[in-house]
Amino acid sequence: MNKMETKGPSGTLSAPRAGTGENIRALLRMTEVVLLVAVLLLVLVGGVVNPHFLCIENIKIMTRDIAMLAIAAIGVGFPILTGGIDLSVGSVVGLGGVMVAYFMMNMGLPIWLSIILTLIIGIGLGAFHGLFVTKLKMHGFLITLVTMGLARGFILVLTNAFPITGLPDQFTNLGQGYLFNLIPIPVIICLIIAGLCFYLLRFTFIGRQIYAVGGNVEAARYSGVAVDARIFLCYIVSVVCATTVGMITAARLSLGHPGSGEGYELLAITACILGGASFAGGEGGVPGILIGAILIGTLQNAMVMLNINPYYHKIVISMVLLAAITFDYLRRRSRRA
Amino acid sequence: MADQPLLRMENISKHFAGVQALSNVDFEVNTGEILGFMGENGAGKSTLVKILSGVYSRDQGAIYWRGQPVEIHSPHQAQALGITTIYQELALVPHLSVAENIFLNRERRRVRGTGLVDFGLQEREAQAIMKDLGVELPGNKKVKELTVAAQQMVEIAKAVSRNASLILMDEPTSALSRKEVDALFNLMRRLKEKGVSVVFISHRLEEVLSVVNRIVVMRDGRRVGQIAGAEATEKKIIQMMVGREVGLFPKVAVPIGGPVLEVRNLTAENGVRNVSFTVHRGEILGLAGLIGAGRTETARLICGADRLTSGSILINGQEVQIKSPAQAVDRGIGWVPEDRKQHGLVLGMDVKSNTTLAILKRISNVFGAVRAKQEREITEHYVHALQILTPSISQTVRNLSGGNQQKVVLAKWLSAKPKIMIMDEPTRGIDVGAKAEVHALMSQLAQEGMAIVMISSEMPEIIGMSDRVIVMCQGRVTGEYERGHVTQEQIMGDATKFLALEALALKAPEAEPVPAGFEPEPKV
Repeated sequence: MNKMETKGPSGTLSAPRAGTGENIRALLRMTEVVLLVAVLLLVLVGGVVNPHFLCIENIKIMTRDIAMLAIAAIGVGFPILTGGIDLSVGSVVGLGGVMVAYFMMNMGLPIWLSIILTLIIGIGLGAFHGLFVTKLKMHGFLITLVTMGLARGFILVLTNAFPITGLPDQFTNLGQGYLFNLIPIPVIICLIIAGLCFYLLRFTFIGRQIYAVGGNVEAARYSGVAVDARIFLCYIVSVVCATTVGMITAARLSLGHPGSGEGYELLAITACILGGASFAGGEGGVPGILIGAILIGTLQNAMVMLNINPYYHKIVISMVLLAAITFDYLRRRSRRA
Repeated sequence: MADQPLLRMENISKHFAGVQALSNVDFEVNTGEILGFMGENGAGKSTLVKILSGVYSRDQGAIYWRGQPVEIHSPHQAQALGITTIYQELALVPHLSVAENIFLNRERRRVRGTGLVDFGLQEREAQAIMKDLGVELPGNKKVKELTVAAQQMVEIAKAVSRNASLILMDEPTSALSRKEVDALFNLMRRLKEKGVSVVFISHRLEEVLSVVNRIVVMRDGRRVGQIAGAEATEKKIIQMMVGREVGLFPKVAVPIGGPVLEVRNLTAENGVRNVSFTVHRGEILGLAGLIGAGRTETARLICGADRLTSGSILINGQEVQIKSPAQAVDRGIGWVPEDRKQHGLVLGMDVKSNTTLAILKRISNVFGAVRAKQEREITEHYVHALQILTPSISQTVRNLSGGNQQKVVLAKWLSAKPKIMIMDEPTRGIDVGAKAEVHALMSQLAQEGMAIVMISSEMPEIIGMSDRVIVMCQGRVTGEYERGHVTQEQIMGDATKFLALEALALKAPEAEPVPAGFEPEPKV
């Protein structure tokens, strides 16, 4: 009874043995591989044009930027997986930095408490999003667009547009410090978050259910999945990740800046889509998003090292996004026979 | 009396990602012929039809239209040739009127060369076209307000008005009641008189036999034979399709236990009115009625998909509150929905993920991780038990044929081992061989003590499989019968108690006011 008897229509097991050519082509079809190749090319070109690009100091800077972007991108990947989106990422980065600085400097709270309180604010905001998406059946786009403005406005008012300076060394170490004098601490934080999220999405039933919600929410609901709970979780994860990035930014700059994170959502979402997430929901994963973040981060760093006019940066990033989504749509279309 | 066939397809082969869907298939259709195209799910019928209608491209072989070789690259081209396909999921725009749909992209202009549409003229012409086919339907009615049967008529009228010489229909009767099927067949005969050929795919053997000139049978991607309508019998066709003798409705007598599920005076805004019945351990309760009678709505109440206005649900004698499908699952209720694709499957996920979708938490360990081995074993068990045709359990469900997708949904609920199972049209769209398997499985489950509510529109299935039959009409229970003491006429009588049998084109007029929101079950 346990022996599997699956057969194709002609009674035989499906595909003939694949040759090497087939294997290579199959690999190329994987988004992650294509992206990795792109990253390698970029690094090579950058290194050739400007040797400083590959020096250890620059690599440290680059990986720190990549790590922060990766945390935000993985975070925003969760609502995208359910077919929604979180546009407030950029403003929340600012909110995270300002609030943690505010708690420490203006209210004199100890570092650990400030961090925890800021995270709680993040959870609350995420739950707020989740509430509108599940109970009012609003698309994530709308509600997060609103909080994008609200959060930014709030911190501008709170700080009167002045950065909150003088953050203690113990805190700034989180953004500026290194483990073993080599690995920036933000990279460690990123790896931990990426690891947890990867495990959640790939191996647990919660992750599986999230994919189901994104794939077909009605089918998931009728199959007994607690759809609302999963959606809540996704929106909370997104804001908490962005909050974390905000705190790391503040640690790095040694100040809480109300303008920080402006436009960050574009980068985070781009990295996510590059990494294979689909706006329709139900597709994408942590490895892809990580590599997407690596590509964007490397690209940004390269643009600086190659002395490309900063005003062009946004255009370049947007072109990369265009290439990614076009490639993705074409790939999707060719799937249909 | 053409000496050459209208359509000839020679040596057609087609494969998809490792699956050979068609192998060297020959297919011909004569002018003015009604051809029944039959075969098990996965046999290749839909694939062949899609190649003919320009959706798929063939790997090899040739197509001859009126004797000339043709290449069909797109549906548009197929239509230009005169080949129109009507799919199960009708291709009409719901918010537009009948006339607008028929004249889509060739609207009648008020002034030539401009964009001004003459709606009045269109509506009159549309009505004339439909009248010519024997259908009475106002041209300005919005398509979404029509019943499925009427919508099909509109599609056919649309095809005819575009001078189709060959109309292909993919399972046109699966969502129709008996009377509507008769009307459709009359329409087909009328088309035949006009010289239009019809190819139709169906699993309903006795229906097909009543109207076709010839039947072509496919199996495993090959054509296995044809038989003239006059000589065909159900048994012969089944044997060709399946290659073996099949016993239908293997109902096993099972000792009926105590009441497991009892519903009392269920009333809700979805149209259910004062419905009460009881289901016992080991019992198969057949829920009969016309489409729109309220059976699916009743199921939705029991499964927590819709909210109750009043009434109660008791499980094992205890009253329970079921406010969501998740709660229903927790209480041991499983629901195989009518619309598998929309409500039953996550098309982008693979077979094993869909199969275990309802039991994910159950097969996870302390850390929440899904046990891969268990998942694999459970899936393989059901793939075998239900004979699901798939290259592997990691195959994306989207790539499976309709009937096999159906089976995956069944597998999902079977793996949840519910105490009560509500199956809404469990064998719709499933071929004969698989039907028997599903029925055998149902009998087995009943033997193991499951209480089954079987919603079905197929009389033979209701009469053959149920221990008791309940008939519904307009949201109410109108009849209750014991096995062996019920006839098709009795069921039909109860199912139409409150309806005046009018032209099928419009929704059945209500005998008394019905709460808002009561619409025929969506059939897309």
